[in-house]
Amino acid sequence: MNPVAVIGTGQTRHARARDDASQPDLVREAAARAIEDAGIRARDIDAVVIANMELFEGRAWPELWVGEAAFAAGKPCLKVATGGTSGTSGCIAGFHQVASGLFDIVLVVGFEKHSEGHTQTGMTLTDPYWDRAVASGAVGNFALSVSQYMADRGVTELQAALVAVKARRNAVRNPHAHLQMPGITVEEVLASRLLAHPLRLLDMCPQSDGACAIVVAAGERARKLHPRPAWVRAAATRHEQPYIGDIDRRLVTMRTLRDAAREAYADAGIREPLKELDVAEIYEPVSYAELAWYEALGFCAEGEAGRLIEDGVTEMDGELPVNPSGGVLSTNPVGASGVIRVAEAALQIHGRGGARQVEGARTALATGYGVYAWADVIVLADRP
Amino acid sequence: MTAGSLRRPVFVCGLGETGAVPEDPRSIPEMVLAAVQAAYRDAGCTQADVDAVVTASVDLLDGLTASNIAITEVVDAVMKPETRIAADGLAAALHAAAQIAAGSYDTVLVVAHCKASMADYQALTRWALDPIYLQPLGVDFLACAGLQAMALAEDDPGAERRWAQIAAARRSCGSSAFSGLCDVDRILVSPLVAAPLRAGMCAPLGDAACAVVLTAQAPARSAAIAVRMAGLGWDLERHSLGDRHLRSWDGLKRAFERACGTAGIEPTAGGFELAEPSCLYPHEEELFARATGIDAATPLSPEGGLFPGTAPIVAGLSRLAAAARRMRQGRAERALAHGAWGPAGQGQAVAVLEARA
Repeated sequence: MNPVAVIGTGQTRHARARDDASQPDLVREAAARAIEDAGIRARDIDAVVIANMELFEGRAWPELWVGEAAFAAGKPCLKVATGGTSGTSGCIAGFHQVASGLFDIVLVVGFEKHSEGHTQTGMTLTDPYWDRAVASGAVGNFALSVSQYMADRGVTELQAALVAVKARRNAVRNPHAHLQMPGITVEEVLASRLLAHPLRLLDMCPQSDGACAIVVAAGERARKLHPRPAWVRAAATRHEQPYIGDIDRRLVTMRTLRDAAREAYADAGIREPLKELDVAEIYEPVSYAELAWYEALGFCAEGEAGRLIEDGVTEMDGELPVNPSGGVLSTNPVGASGVIRVAEAALQIHGRGGARQVEGARTALATGYGVYAWADVIVLADRP
Repeated sequence: MTAGSLRRPVFVCGLGETGAVPEDPRSIPEMVLAAVQAAYRDAGCTQADVDAVVTASVDLLDGLTASNIAITEVVDAVMKPETRIAADGLAAALHAAAQIAAGSYDTVLVVAHCKASMADYQALTRWALDPIYLQPLGVDFLACAGLQAMALAEDDPGAERRWAQIAAARRSCGSSAFSGLCDVDRILVSPLVAAPLRAGMCAPLGDAACAVVLTAQAPARSAAIAVRMAGLGWDLERHSLGDRHLRSWDGLKRAFERACGTAGIEPTAGGFELAEPSCLYPHEEELFARATGIDAATPLSPEGGLFPGTAPIVAGLSRLAAAARRMRQGRAERALAHGAWGPAGQGQAVAVLEARA
């Protein structure tokens, strides 16, 4: 891919219900902040990509309504929708459109307003004949996958609770994060309501209202516009078939994320991700998933994810801070969640992470997870 | 290199379609598989040659969140990159071309599907309209088309007969599984569906799937004419009809200018030997002509365009396929394929195709 970089990011205040803002209001809030952050004007934008899962709001073609709020009126605008990976796929679509030579600057905006729909109904997407009765929605599916993962790798509830606590403690440093739970303890996580064994309420991500935007620019423009562009070193996507019984131990294997990471690391010249990455923003919809992703992303050997979190390797002061933003476990407007991962990773390269900045971050990872193990892996760095 | 020109050429190398029918007894995956297999046969390739997939579908029309989930296997996106563009299929093809031009993939499969027979399509389009100011009025995409037609017919007493003639002429030159009217007088007394539009003027909507293989390499077969996607342009107009010039498709004009800019040609009708517009209603052909300058002087929809029958989402991609087929027969060296979506053509997509022997 030809050189492209992220030169601006913007996100809304995320909350359970943003009753003060309509869907276009949320989109405008994030888009305007990204444009301001990039130091450009709305008229500098050549094209817009929108990411959103429209059935969560019970809508169709949502870009038709919210496009003007994304400064897209009279401009090329397309909507990307691939479940949880919508945001990262939207960002990758923006990278491709810039790298194609068609545009110099593309704005990518992801949004979701879960409070105006019914997310669990929207997530009834398993095959109606084979899988729907046993696993629909996020909780049922993850309960099955996580049980297999625990049995296979010996991961404990306590280790998952450590992930849940890390995310919420990091979120306290992030003014945009939805869940603000200072002082949250492992005991609280382990005592929280059991949703479906082994998943407890505080193991799960919330549903949030919010939007996030990034500004993507072509090589020369990026250099002119930003003192420290976050260059896209790699972007890889893998999709998976949907039937539960047809994937051997989905969360354990996670072959999509594994394969996408292998490609992205090769493209970015990364051999030892734990050492060579400075920060990671990974899409962990449930505490246990973060542990599984440590293995799939090559942060540790198989079966060692529990030790990684116990040793504090992925804490803010660890060798590889994972999700300084608080992650999806703290903020989850689905269509925006992937864009947030990329924006937070870019923010670290820009050196503008504020209280959640990882000192000297030069190489950052962002991932997306969606539907049934669909995966995006993106590597950003301070050099093209 | 400045923005606006493609960094790598993109060729159309495989075409596969089910054709539109009022009600296809097959499931969506079965229809999509048939189109994809036909496209592979046409391209002389297999799924192993395809690096990535771009799909076009709309969840509300399929009644399924992440509607590409139902077709992941039949489009062979398992362990491959897939992107779903939730708009007209031609827009998906334009994005796929951008992926190839970016150097990210060499060969991309583009697939669009819709089964309008499963639900009341127009009723569902209400859920695309502004829920605060427009949706409560009960208008749908058909009503929006009617309002646009009304704006055009206001001081044009001959408009309705002319539109009936367009619908009849287009329909009589294409074969169709639908029972559309081909007689002008019968069209003019068919029921009003969104005044001044009558049932007989509208393109009937049904079920279809279409697949196109795009590649960075010109097809190897020496006898074949290679069709290149030389120009790409798309646009999103303002949403509310009250904020637009209803008597023109300004969005199409911009998309056309962008596509011609990418192709390095002047945005004029001259030089186009074929146009395949996505017009569901006859007044849209006049809007198309105003926006692009391409009128009856250029061969327009020689197989009838959408008027014999089509499917939402598939329409624009099927126009690309129709134009490319004809170019391969040596019947045009430069053609324009068009797609549209949203109320009164809010979303517009244009591809400039060039043939090379």
